[in-house]
Amino acid sequence: MTSSLTKVLGAAGLAAALSGIIASGPVHAASAEIVLGAIVPSSGPFAEWGRTNTATLQMLEKQVNDAGGVNGAKLRIVILDDATKPAQATNDLRKLAGDDHVLAVAGPLTSSAAEVTFPVANEMKVVATSQASSKPGVAKNNRPWAFRNTIDESVLGRATVPYYKKAFNIKSVAIIFDAKDATAATVGSKIMPGLMKENGIEVLNANDPLSFNTGDLDVSAQVTKIKALNPDGVVVSADYSQAVTVIREMKRQGVIKPVVGSTQLISSAILKAAPEIPIVAPATFYASMPGDKPQTFVKELTPLLHKISGLPAEIEPSMYDANIYEIGSIYIDAIKKAGVTGKPEDLEADRTKIRDYMTKLSGFPGLGGPIAFNQDGDAIKAFYIVQGQNGAWESKVRGCSAPDGKHGC
Amino acid sequence: MSMYYAGILSDIGILLLGALSVYIILATGQLSLGNAGFMGIGAYITSWLTVEAGLPITVALVIAALVSGAIGVAVGFPALRLKGIYLAMATLGFGEVVRSFLLNFAAMGGPEGFHGMHHISTGYIWTWAVSVLVLVMLIEASPIWLEIRAVRDDETAAGLVGLNATEIKVGAFGCGAAVAAIAGGLFAHHHVYIEPGNFSFERSVDLVLAVILGGSTVASGALAGAVMLVILPEYLRFLAEWRFAAFGALLIAMLLVRRQGLLDRALLRFAWRGSRA
Repeated sequence: MTSSLTKVLGAAGLAAALSGIIASGPVHAASAEIVLGAIVPSSGPFAEWGRTNTATLQMLEKQVNDAGGVNGAKLRIVILDDATKPAQATNDLRKLAGDDHVLAVAGPLTSSAAEVTFPVANEMKVVATSQASSKPGVAKNNRPWAFRNTIDESVLGRATVPYYKKAFNIKSVAIIFDAKDATAATVGSKIMPGLMKENGIEVLNANDPLSFNTGDLDVSAQVTKIKALNPDGVVVSADYSQAVTVIREMKRQGVIKPVVGSTQLISSAILKAAPEIPIVAPATFYASMPGDKPQTFVKELTPLLHKISGLPAEIEPSMYDANIYEIGSIYIDAIKKAGVTGKPEDLEADRTKIRDYMTKLSGFPGLGGPIAFNQDGDAIKAFYIVQGQNGAWESKVRGCSAPDGKHGC
Repeated sequence: MSMYYAGILSDIGILLLGALSVYIILATGQLSLGNAGFMGIGAYITSWLTVEAGLPITVALVIAALVSGAIGVAVGFPALRLKGIYLAMATLGFGEVVRSFLLNFAAMGGPEGFHGMHHISTGYIWTWAVSVLVLVMLIEASPIWLEIRAVRDDETAAGLVGLNATEIKVGAFGCGAAVAAIAGGLFAHHHVYIEPGNFSFERSVDLVLAVILGGSTVASGALAGAVMLVILPEYLRFLAEWRFAAFGALLIAMLLVRRQGLLDRALLRFAWRGSRA
């Protein structure tokens, strides 16, 4: 009964929030259909994220259309799979912008794909906003059409490492990273060593980097080396599906040391790999995040994720689902408020209006707090240093990615 | 032509060159699983020459091809001692060495990758692709190819009739490496960004797969393979997340029906006679 009531209230809350977006602002759109695009990895190494992203966007599409559409026009989101291949992502963007005439694109997910897709977005003059890329400088190198609803890992690391040091009295660490993943390799070989030094933490393998490759199933040799170094903590820089292999091996070898990493670690699956190993990472959203908006989002999306075959039974909405939901919502808001018509003859002007709206955006109500974009195209939003405990993430520190650490969050 | 189709055509042109690089080496009976490494060398050298040294791309591609060709010759010598699966493993190792080197090569960005290249047109990519394809087809029609086939079919017998098998095999490695470097340079200037992960084992497999699927006994097989590998996943998009499973099934079916690949000499001869009748 309580659960049903919560669901009804949650649905009502979400509908109210959406109708707020949909009903506000002047009515300009005159097209029968508003078309947005999305690039997600529905196959390949990050298929889990891509498939949950797809369900998230389909949910958003349904919510918007059930609430009357965008200025009376039906919303259609064309979702293409890039198979986690950068070259496929560029073809996707060309297809979405050139053939499907979308107003704006959500995605691609990875930094490697964003690196090659964002230049195409600039060339074709269409806004592309990544839901997960957090490698430093990716949007900055591709202004003015590239955006990321994420925070640069170096900004997040500056808040993560001091908390990690204080919480676990860390004096030394060993670093292991996925050498095949551009973001993980950048964080593991450049950002984390620098941050450790800044915080007076010794990197025991500074001259002997430990790495593995995406897809490796045996990391026992690397973990044996970590065990021999006997650090106070371990930096694991890899996306969660790869990091799970390292953490399981740490548990097997009895290396029960606190782990720290980047946003790539945030997942419910990683907490189940070795619940006794504390994990610290930054996040802009996590499924157990308190608050009406995030909890309504989780309650609406979780049953839809459970219907997708092939995903873990305990799957929960990820930070990247929240990010892509926010991206879609920002685009819809832009279409409402910036006078986008959606007519074929206005396509170029409409895309420019969306870009300008994004550039000037301030205080957009995101799931985890207000959202804006800085001059590098990265999100100014709240983030949380979370610690994995008892199978759930718990927020320990709230931060803000604004330059002064306060305004805009 | 829409930019989408132009992008796909560019991908086909680059894959064609990469497949030809494998085909040239395979023609001498050697299987290289490290051509992504040569592509990486070409991509990074070409990019450095155009971005840092300010050279025109054509000059940069030629220099990269020469350097990569020289490295190919150097790799070709120790490879003479290996055959079959052992050679494949050794070249796979070479590819991984190159990728790891690029990953730690901070001067070219290391894991962060390298930017700053200017985008090139589909026409420019295809000018290179067609030129190299025609060149390989001309060599196929020349007596040199008979020597190459003789070495592939029976190295000992070829030696007994006075052919220099070492020269032919090492030369093929050098030429294959040079063509792979051109493919890499074009790849870098098509995507205007490169990172070590672009030149991993999976890319080497793609190059070999294009040759095996298209036909490993004729140069035009590389073209057919490149078209299939790029176009099929695009046309199977309606299958959503199942498209790569369907793509794999189609490839297996294709190899069951035509083990020698889509194109072979008999088929080309048949088509040629049919067109003249």
